[in-house]
Amino acid sequence: MFDIVIRNGLVVDGEGGPGVLADLAIQDGRIAAIGQNLGEGKQTLDATGRVVAPGFIDPHTHFDAQLLWDGQARPALEHGVTSVIPGNCSLSLAPLKIADRATVVGMFQQIEEMPPEAFTEKFAKWTWEDFAGYCAAIEPDLAINVAPLVGHSLIRLWVMGAESQQRAATADEIVAMQALLRQCLRDRAIGLSTSFVDVDANGRPVPSRFAEFAELDALCQVLGEEGGKMLQVVPEFYDADITIARIDQLADFSLKHGIPTTFSPVFDSHATPKAAPRILDRVAEQFARGARVWPQMQTRPIDISFSMLNPSLFLARLPRWVRVLRQPLEQRIAALNDPATRASMIADCGPDGGEAMFGRLVVRGGDRAPEAYVGRRLGDIARERGEGAAEAAIKISCENGLDVAFLAANGGHDDTGRIGPMLANPLVHIGASDGGAHLASFSTYGDTGYLFSEFVRASGDFTLEQAVKKITADTADIWGIKDRGRLKPGLAADVVVFDADTIARLEERPVHDVPGNGLRYIRSATGVDAVLVNGAVVYADGAYTDARPGAICN
Amino acid sequence: MSADGAVVRTAEAIAREAIIVGAELAAAHDGQAELVVSIRYPNGVVGHVLLDADAGYALMRSCEIDDLGGLAGQSWRKILEGVKTCSTS
Ligand SMILES: [Zn+2]
Repeated sequence: MFDIVIRNGLVVDGEGGPGVLADLAIQDGRIAAIGQNLGEGKQTLDATGRVVAPGFIDPHTHFDAQLLWDGQARPALEHGVTSVIPGNCSLSLAPLKIADRATVVGMFQQIEEMPPEAFTEKFAKWTWEDFAGYCAAIEPDLAINVAPLVGHSLIRLWVMGAESQQRAATADEIVAMQALLRQCLRDRAIGLSTSFVDVDANGRPVPSRFAEFAELDALCQVLGEEGGKMLQVVPEFYDADITIARIDQLADFSLKHGIPTTFSPVFDSHATPKAAPRILDRVAEQFARGARVWPQMQTRPIDISFSMLNPSLFLARLPRWVRVLRQPLEQRIAALNDPATRASMIADCGPDGGEAMFGRLVVRGGDRAPEAYVGRRLGDIARERGEGAAEAAIKISCENGLDVAFLAANGGHDDTGRIGPMLANPLVHIGASDGGAHLASFSTYGDTGYLFSEFVRASGDFTLEQAVKKITADTADIWGIKDRGRLKPGLAADVVVFDADTIARLEERPVHDVPGNGLRYIRSATGVDAVLVNGAVVYADGAYTDARPGAICN
Repeated sequence: MSADGAVVRTAEAIAREAIIVGAELAAAHDGQAELVVSIRYPNGVVGHVLLDADAGYALMRSCEIDDLGGLAGQSWRKILEGVKTCSTS
């Protein structure tokens, strides 16, 4: 008798071909059989009317710290994500000497927006210095699989100390970095991440940005020698021309050292509509040369968030608002409380009292946002208060020391008609979720659900099977993860059972579950019935289980 | 040189300089609004410069405008002025 039989589902195996009605049997953590009438298992899951697919793989996350207190990487698992790749953007938590911990915590605070307590309270387990030690620290409690990258900034910091943020490396230091990277790869790192963009808590470039060409080239040589491991890069994504120059550089590394490379993010913006298409054209040219330069594109639109505490350009089209908001804080508060100024600001918004611009905004937190308003549309709140939408935005801000944030959904990367075909491009890697980062700014979860709701069901850019392939087998192939990403006898039993008609991400909501009562925004999933990792049920019927079957994989 | 000649030279000098031709709001990676300023170079190529809130407001201040529409036609040097004032303030 099999350990588990998932009965009567539409088995979509990740290869892209049409799904097949069948049973899927699991034994000893692996897929044992797929076929008709496999009988009962010790545990049987009924998947009638549901899709049975390989667990999704999220290639761009920053769960490095969260995994120390949350081996389920919530809420990634409930969306059907069974494997995550942390350590992106030059940042990992190993290898790291005790003396350098504060430096790296500062970088994580800056980039991931984590409170310091997240590192002090929960780091009783912080016993490691080397990469193997980090893996050993997280592995016992993992419910999700983890394929960790090692960060270039950490390698540099280990070898050069404080000078890693001051100068180029010497030839001897480069040799030492090569040896250290080689050890990390042998200790199960899936590749190396680097960044040309990020800064630390003091606004200084992170260590990887001080590397000269020869250093990165030498590290890529090690990636090649160790079996063709991945190089992940954050290029100067805000400028299409520089990004294209980086694509050419990555392509040369790929060809010279026989390695895959990936870069993120790539956005589509209505303000620079030619940028993303130009970038994808250059990627195609480099693939035609034989290089592997995978652009990562996220499925979700970008939401803009702002408060009147820190003037945002969101309001820059309203001259009277600009005049008020660029004043120093004290004068700004006085002006916002002045009835005549308020009236002129409201008049700026047109005859609808700002309904068109402000009514759709959602109140989303900020430390002083009134509980009763959080998560609700400003237009509805305004009606309740007997005010216009713009008036309500000003008054609610004033009532709470201006520390109320508003969210404008779909501020960019939101044109499904343009983005659907880009995502469906076989050379585009769906990723860049940034799970575990930007905690206090926006939710990074549920991009997989959004792929199905928006690009399978609404726009039809993908069939169900193509969408599954894109975030399972394709991802596994790009990263060289051999044991996962497909439903095939012998492979690890990472499985998600979902309803193709309803799988989606739910509304964003604030939670205070980061150690130190830290705020983060999350989205829960809907339409996901069960999630299995290495043959054990980790999420079913809307609840997480106690199983801890996750593993370090690469 | 006649007064007319001087005017012509000045107009040529202006024509040889990069000019702001427009500005759009966009959503940045980190969920902030950013300003995409389009600049036309003397050779006709239009490029973009991205400014965050501080730099964007500083640019508007250096142009003495409070309406984004007023950016069109301004010299690219205003961006430098704006960014300089915002980094020293
Ligand atoms: Zn990242």
